[in-house]
Amino acid sequence: MVDVLRVAGLCKSFGVIRVADDLDFKLALGECLGVIGPNGAGKSSVLNLIVGLIRADAGSISLDGRDITHVPAHRRARLGIGRAFQIPQPFPHLTAYENVLVAATYGGGLHGSAAADWAMDVLGRTSLAVKADRIAGALPLIDRKSLEFAKALASKPRLILLDEIAAGLTEPEVERLIEIIAGVKADHAMIWIEHIPHALRAVADRILVLNFGRKVLEGPPGEVMDSRTVKEIYMGLTADDAA
Amino acid sequence: MKGIAISYAVTAALLVAGPWLLGEGGLRFATECLLILAMAQMWNLLAGYAGLVSFGHQVFVGIGAYGLFLISDTLDLSPYWVLPIAPLACAVVASVIALPLFRLREAYFSIAMWVFSEIVAALVTKAAWLGGSAGLPLRSSRLLDLDWFEPVLFWIAGGLALGTIGGLFLLMRSGFGLGLMSVRDNDLAAMSVGVDVQRNRFIVFVLSAAGCGLAGAVSFLGNLYVSPAAAFDVNWVVYMMFIVMIGGIGTLEGPIIGTVIFFGLRELITDQLGYSAGWYLVALGTVAVIVMLWSPRGLWPPLRDRFGLKLLGVGRTAPTAPDVPPLAGKVGQLG
Ligand SMILES: Nc1ncnc2c1ncn2[C@@H]1O[C@H](COP(=O)(O)OP(=O)(O)O)[C@@H](O)[C@H]1O
Ligand SMILES: [Mg+2]
Repeated sequence: MVDVLRVAGLCKSFGVIRVADDLDFKLALGECLGVIGPNGAGKSSVLNLIVGLIRADAGSISLDGRDITHVPAHRRARLGIGRAFQIPQPFPHLTAYENVLVAATYGGGLHGSAAADWAMDVLGRTSLAVKADRIAGALPLIDRKSLEFAKALASKPRLILLDEIAAGLTEPEVERLIEIIAGVKADHAMIWIEHIPHALRAVADRILVLNFGRKVLEGPPGEVMDSRTVKEIYMGLTADDAA
Repeated sequence: MKGIAISYAVTAALLVAGPWLLGEGGLRFATECLLILAMAQMWNLLAGYAGLVSFGHQVFVGIGAYGLFLISDTLDLSPYWVLPIAPLACAVVASVIALPLFRLREAYFSIAMWVFSEIVAALVTKAAWLGGSAGLPLRSSRLLDLDWFEPVLFWIAGGLALGTIGGLFLLMRSGFGLGLMSVRDNDLAAMSVGVDVQRNRFIVFVLSAAGCGLAGAVSFLGNLYVSPAAAFDVNWVVYMMFIVMIGGIGTLEGPIIGTVIFFGLRELITDQLGYSAGWYLVALGTVAVIVMLWSPRGLWPPLRDRFGLKLLGVGRTAPTAPDVPPLAGKVGQLG
């Protein structure tokens, strides 16, 4: 079977800052790759490279065996990449329903009632159905986070990229989010950047540790979390939990 | 939706009856208002929905006007029949300049548009076959029935204003419009869910240019005379910007409110109070600053939100009023 995502030799620097340094990893359908690493390690930038918001200096990215390294962002979304931003990026003057409808229409390629039904389906799965007609800009943080996930899901992706989607939420909210994410895991490949250990342990199949844009470790969650390397990198970095 | 259709029909009927309801001066004034309203809507389409703030939209007014005069005189055809040339010419010019211009972002695009307009104006001024700086009279005007000239112009202007508003309304309710509004709100997020932002910008730029060109052509048709100084006057875009900014950028209602204020103020200051046009510009600037300080997105959004108004609602409501779905209430309360 072809991997959904395959990243090979990916490099990117902003001046002297390296956000991707010869990165290699791959991801199959139904698999979730957890990504951890200190702030500024380049985690969000790697997602930006995968979705095409920034261009790689070197290396290649392929989706379902197709090289997308030079494909523009909107086409990648249509090909099957959905992304939830670390800082929620709603369409503030549109309703929650319309937000999701944009993704269903453009990313998902649906029209008319098919788009509307799918949008409502996604809102239902992400606990936003009751707020469907609320203006997105006025939603509280948990709902804006859920809406990020809903927009990603609504574009009918093969690959879902989640960037610190649980950060800043209360424990019960985190639990609920884990449930939602676990619920769609089987049908997608997924990358989940998160600092909350138990959340990653619950969903991720593997964890990749990123530091200065380099992969320092990749392996089963328990093994990686308990490794010395991670403890050293994270030593004194508990403040990351709030980031 | 029904209410909108009815008010649209009533407005259309009023426009048809206009020439009998308004005096000669009133008719001219109304024609001017309607044309500026159409231009402002076109500028708003580009700035409000595609994030492209043009300082050079007067170039399309000028190209539309010159296109009309030139073709009408050359072919000796009634200017009414030649009017479609104006938007066409502007659409062609816009699609050609879009390529280099879209490489520029933000203020650079704005200024490049202005520079482009100035270049075209300078070329026209130098072109003897276009009448140079003296301009062109509309020789084909002898083909016009001058008794009906003012009413027909009013009807064209009315049709144009109503047509742009109706057209934009339908556009915003379409799938394409949904994409436009998503780009207006957040272009990065729009790209990330599959909206082709550059393509949207291109289409909107061409539409906006075409609409402005048509309005400009009608405006100079009314004068039966066009000169580069008047046609490429930067004031055109200043008026469009003022109207959109104070009325409400990125809304369909905003430019309507803006137009009312713009001309209301002009009549009040130059006509009722008898001050000079200079004072009128001072008043415009003052009003603009006050509005911007109070509400950066113009008058309409806060009014709409405060009083729950819906004039030209382009929003989509969710298909089923859903019952409380599983677990949603629980999480919602925690937020
Ligand atoms: N577009 C950009 N231009 C310049 N520097 C950037 C850009 N995006 C990110 N950076 C820098 O790259 C580094 C990594 O950022 P980021 O990928 O957001 O890290 P993380 O998500 O791991 O916290 C940071 O130092 C950040 O300032
Ligand atoms: Mg980050």
